[in-house]
Amino acid sequence: MKALDIAQVTFSYNPKEGKIKTAGAEYALRDFSMSVDSGQMHALLGPNGAGKTTLMRLITGQLRGFQGSISIYGTRNDHAQSLSSVGYAPQPISVYAGLTAMENMRVFGVMAGLSRELLQERSRAVLEETGLLPYAQKRASTYSGGMLRRLNLAVALLHAPRLLLLDEPTVGVDPQSRNHIYETLKKMNASGIAIVLCTHIMDEAQRMCSKVTMLDRGAVIFSGAMNEIDHLETFFLAQTGHRLRDED
Amino acid sequence: MTFRKLTALIRKEMIILLRERQTIPLLFIMPMALIFFLSLALQGVYMDKLTGRQILLIIENESHQPTANLLEQRISANKMIQRVQRPPGFDNDKVFETSRAHAVIFIPKGFDEGLKPVEMEFDPVLDAGYKSAVRVLVTGLTVEVVMGIDDIEGMSADFIVEKTKTNRTLPGPLQNSVPGWSIFAMFFIAIPMSIGFLREKNDGTLQRIFTYPVSPAIVILGKLIPYYLINLMQFALMLIVGIYILPLIIAFPFTLGEHPWHVIPVTLVVAAASTGFGVMVAALARAPEQSSALAATGAVLMAVFGGIMVPHAVMPLIMKKLAMLSPMYWAHQAYLDIFSRDAGFGSIWPKLAVLTVFALVCFYIAGRKVKWM
Repeated sequence: MKALDIAQVTFSYNPKEGKIKTAGAEYALRDFSMSVDSGQMHALLGPNGAGKTTLMRLITGQLRGFQGSISIYGTRNDHAQSLSSVGYAPQPISVYAGLTAMENMRVFGVMAGLSRELLQERSRAVLEETGLLPYAQKRASTYSGGMLRRLNLAVALLHAPRLLLLDEPTVGVDPQSRNHIYETLKKMNASGIAIVLCTHIMDEAQRMCSKVTMLDRGAVIFSGAMNEIDHLETFFLAQTGHRLRDED
Repeated sequence: MTFRKLTALIRKEMIILLRERQTIPLLFIMPMALIFFLSLALQGVYMDKLTGRQILLIIENESHQPTANLLEQRISANKMIQRVQRPPGFDNDKVFETSRAHAVIFIPKGFDEGLKPVEMEFDPVLDAGYKSAVRVLVTGLTVEVVMGIDDIEGMSADFIVEKTKTNRTLPGPLQNSVPGWSIFAMFFIAIPMSIGFLREKNDGTLQRIFTYPVSPAIVILGKLIPYYLINLMQFALMLIVGIYILPLIIAFPFTLGEHPWHVIPVTLVVAAASTGFGVMVAALARAPEQSSALAATGAVLMAVFGGIMVPHAVMPLIMKKLAMLSPMYWAHQAYLDIFSRDAGFGSIWPKLAVLTVFALVCFYIAGRKVKWM
């Protein structure tokens, strides 16, 4: 079964005259298609500004007004049920710094609709999984960068999603935390959770993922099995070029 | 489930807000300090305007005849006068230079016989109003003693009556400051409120909340309700301080008026206006620093124009008209209606209508800019 099915999605932040497909509009995504099978770990790669984060925000319903369709386990992503199936760890560490890890769990768990008992149980489980249980009563503002990244991931795992979207989950963390995050993801994937991993660390993507989709300037430039690629970084540069993308 | 989500968001907001070190001083201690120090500072001004300042007066009676003695006695007994003695070796110029007295009255020999008049000399810097008042007082008392009238004011009561209206009475310093600075503090909530909104927008937690099945209305209410409740707590606290503590320190009372329950609808509407202002600032600003500057400047300007910092009654006409642009003016006038003028609800509701419109405009502007949410 398809965990995620994206079909011909076009999106612009500044649609002309309210229409998406109009001459002169700048597209963040254009006719973008991608599918992720249940239980698959899928790499989503692209240079800065390629449209990866926009895609994540479209999938999670933060952005609306696109053309095409996005389905999560067969349900359109504008249904509450589909949002409950998704766990999203955004690139910025999006947790409440003024709250403890356990208080963060409570807020996001209630938003996800977990019952009181399940919330208690899942909070302990994911904090243990991410190595944060001993620090559960400490405020997130006192955490190191690696701990915050793990807390960011723990929030995404809290409601036991069937599809996990990870936007740069290991950026700025030490090797120990990165390794811990990888191990957690492997376990999640082994338990049947589909994962979309968005990263700039090519080794990480090649080692962890079985499929890859590359996008550039909002369009797919490659999609295929990871084992067809010898060296992902060389392949990526060949596809996207060596020019700096600072001004894109 | 919706209610549970709402209470979880309110709880989250309250915890974050109360854990921030600057929140309590900013929202509770600052306005109390402002009420205290500004009431104290304005005490003198109000004393002049409400009860009248006492004039330090040297009375020298050279005559010592019965009429002169009676005049000396009546002047000394007047509540407007505080009699002082001339320091040895001080002439009038030195008395005034050293502020030992504001005026000198000299009753010469021959006054009783009508040969010489009473002499008055004033400190050149004394307000013209006080000079005139002393002149009228001494003239009146002189007429009384010379013509043998016991109470000239009582005699003239049949011909001249002073009419006063409660709603035109100048409120005392606490009557003015307690509601005034409470309103200011309530509007100051725009600072932590807009900072909180923008911080959540910038760190992505606001967007993350929207990845869950929760309606935007619940998210917005979850952010507004805590600040609204804090606004109500602020006002209640200021009122308690105004009633029970400040009158012990400042020589003026604070009274709630004849209809104290009108405070409830007024405060509910003022809190809506101030939280509306906070949301609007959050929607217009791009960064927490910008929102904090915008909220602080906005609140101070509204206070300056609205008669909070300078009492509306003493403003020049142009400022009195400009004051109407400030929502704080309407809020303040509504509270003054209750506390100082014993006005009925008929006088209060138009002010509440203006504040409601202000709140709705703020929410509308924020709604138009709601993209960032």
